[in-house]
Amino acid sequence: MTTATVSRWDRFRESFVWYSFKRDKVAIISFLVLLLMVLAAIFAPLLAPANPYDLAQINIMNSEMPPVGLDGADPAFPLGTDAQGRDLLSTILYGTRVSLMIGFGAVLLQAVLGILFGLMAGYLGGKVDAILMRIADVQLSFSTLMVAIIVGAVFKASFGNLMFGEIAIYMLIFIIGIAEWPQIARTVRASVLAEKKKEYVEAARVMGFGTRRIMFRHILPNTLSPIFVIATVQIANAIISEAALSFLGLGMPETQPSLGSLIKSGFDYIQSGSWWITLIPGLVLVVLVLVINLLGDWLRDVMNPRLYKG
Amino acid sequence: MKKLIAAFLGSMVLAAAPVALSAEATRELKMAYDADPVTLDIHEQLSGGILQLSHMTFDPLVRWTSDLSFEPRLAESWERVDENTMRFKLREGVKFHSGNELTTADVKFTFNRLKRSQDFKAIFQPFSGINIIDDYTFELVTSEPYPLLLNTATYIFPLDSEFYSGQTEDGKDKDAISKHGSSFASENLSGTGPYVVTERKQGVRVEFERFDDYWDTESPGNVGRIVLTPIKENNTRVSALLSGGVDFIAPVPPNDLERIKRDKNANLVTMSGTRIILFHMNGERVEAFKDPRVRQAIAYSINQEGIAAKIMKGFATPAAQMSPAGYQGHNESLSPRFDVEKAQSLMKEAGYEDGFTISMMAPNNRYVNDDKIAQAVAAMLARINITVDLKTLPKAQYWTEYDNRAADMMMIGWHADTEDSANFFEFLTFCPDADSGAGQYNAGNYCNPEVDALVEKASVETDLDKRAAMLQEAEKRLYDDAAFVPLHWQDLAWASKKKVNIEPVLNVMNFPYLGDLVVE
Repeated sequence: MTTATVSRWDRFRESFVWYSFKRDKVAIISFLVLLLMVLAAIFAPLLAPANPYDLAQINIMNSEMPPVGLDGADPAFPLGTDAQGRDLLSTILYGTRVSLMIGFGAVLLQAVLGILFGLMAGYLGGKVDAILMRIADVQLSFSTLMVAIIVGAVFKASFGNLMFGEIAIYMLIFIIGIAEWPQIARTVRASVLAEKKKEYVEAARVMGFGTRRIMFRHILPNTLSPIFVIATVQIANAIISEAALSFLGLGMPETQPSLGSLIKSGFDYIQSGSWWITLIPGLVLVVLVLVINLLGDWLRDVMNPRLYKG
Repeated sequence: MKKLIAAFLGSMVLAAAPVALSAEATRELKMAYDADPVTLDIHEQLSGGILQLSHMTFDPLVRWTSDLSFEPRLAESWERVDENTMRFKLREGVKFHSGNELTTADVKFTFNRLKRSQDFKAIFQPFSGINIIDDYTFELVTSEPYPLLLNTATYIFPLDSEFYSGQTEDGKDKDAISKHGSSFASENLSGTGPYVVTERKQGVRVEFERFDDYWDTESPGNVGRIVLTPIKENNTRVSALLSGGVDFIAPVPPNDLERIKRDKNANLVTMSGTRIILFHMNGERVEAFKDPRVRQAIAYSINQEGIAAKIMKGFATPAAQMSPAGYQGHNESLSPRFDVEKAQSLMKEAGYEDGFTISMMAPNNRYVNDDKIAQAVAAMLARINITVDLKTLPKAQYWTEYDNRAADMMMIGWHADTEDSANFFEFLTFCPDADSGAGQYNAGNYCNPEVDALVEKASVETDLDKRAAMLQEAEKRLYDDAAFVPLHWQDLAWASKKKVNIEPVLNVMNFPYLGDLVVE
């Protein structure tokens, strides 16, 4: 057999995914921008000129300095400073890191829950299906933000602010992850229902494989493509949810700004001269969410067999 | 016939028109403050917001004019009987919102209730009693000669004794004062003031209607209806004014002053203020705060000038003491002492080189940029290794926490109620004493009996030079001991549409006399 000798990389390079990626300029650019942002976020502690989380480093006398190129700018602060004197470039790098961590973390949690419940509901059917899907329905009828606001307020009240600051990021991952799992569960369930009737599943069952093995080893790999598509979009959604929560003052604390809390802290100044405090992090957020959504779009086109085989 | 009727109607309208213009208050004023009053009981809390409400719905015996002299209100005239007694003559024919008539019984009721109020009793401490002569004459008696008697009378807003007496349906006394709780008085109101509260949703809006039987018929005020909406976000409040959504806003955030000045439809009024903003350090919660060196270290680590220049945009005066310039207690020799190295070495000396963690609370809609100031202070404390757990709250929740002394460092802003230095000490640095009401807002539980004695001595000193020297000495002692962290005296700013003539009704106390407001 030749496939055994062909490495995974070669297989990938011969795949349709790579083929279409190479021909799609939007996808390439989006991917590069995302890669750049992810790398910048991962290496933020090395790249950032200052540590925005270290309050001892900030000086009130440096507050509200404009970005380089405007009157009164200081080259030490290339993108200017916020109202408390934090270097905006460093804060944005760290903030992007927080936003991405929350985006990926929340979607990972959603995926774990969604796949597990989706597979069970779809494959086992009957009462399990009914119960799980009704739970999902109930959950979908609450808006994510509302659930997040309630849980966030409870956490904040019971842990105190300093403690909350330390666990805020995990809490946000938890809240957004829990609130959005039905999206993935429903998609998985739909695919499972379609797959379940196919011959290979029958064959596996006849061969006496256990339910668990059939669910995870046989059906799951065949339902992955819609999960990828929806997960990409969900990352963008999670980042937006986090920004919205932070903007409402329920997300990341002011001492550890994410993009959302940065936008909020600059909001008071947007019409009185210091527009950069809100505008620059806002642009970063828009670009981040945009490239993820564009990649999601492209992925959907590729993964949808009807679009390219038809 | 038709012509005749038309002519008749026309002449009626013409005849009625001038009267309608001068006597009827028909204008509507939409205003936005950073917060709405937390209660309707004007004796529950001694705060700017409640006093603003008092001036809208009640009337004081006398009130300050904008040039800081006294103007008769419900007291028509007054005269000194002897050095401890002042006789007041009450205005006749004044009606409360409930329809009851104002008499000295109401003044007595109010005086006694003030003496019971936790927040107000310290102000009325020098008063020993009230003598009722007849329905419209009474005397206020102090235990010793008290130079600030009239200043204090500006805080006597007579309550409707009949309205506030008796019991509610569920058996509670109507005159009960319940701090942060619900009581009859915190939800119902009957005063003599120009406005009646017609609708109130806490945190959403308060609606006022002009009181039909308001006694002051000479008041030029022509506003018939006021809608007060709290808008906490600075930027949103200013935008609401500039877009025409509201007619009058306060406070105006310092970074938007220029923007309002540039707008040709808006009116900006600013005054240099006397309200001190400071932080208390609670020695009962944090052992380290008992060490004067730690307190000094904190005082040295705070850059008051930085806060005044950057966060307040120069719209505040950096402070090193409580008494602003012009007050008897203002000590010229005290200046802000920002020096991080000195602060670090003091921390080292005290054995706290590695620092510690404290909690801090500040309101986020009470003072100008209060939450941003607290954040900046937290950052400054990080320089001397003090980690701050900062929580900022809306004032409706903040005062409950404040009265519970719920954090190690708490922010307060204080404007001297008597326009005199002693008032700062009595409320902010006196050893707390629930009986006399001393130190009612001393969230540091700082206690220095020697300074207290000095201020008490000054309070009854009639030689002004000696009195000033004593009060200045007290400021110096507290400065040396770093009893608290003074930040700045906050300036005042209000803005309105051009047609709203706010300037004549504003004053440095920040009690807009909205009853006299004229809207063109």
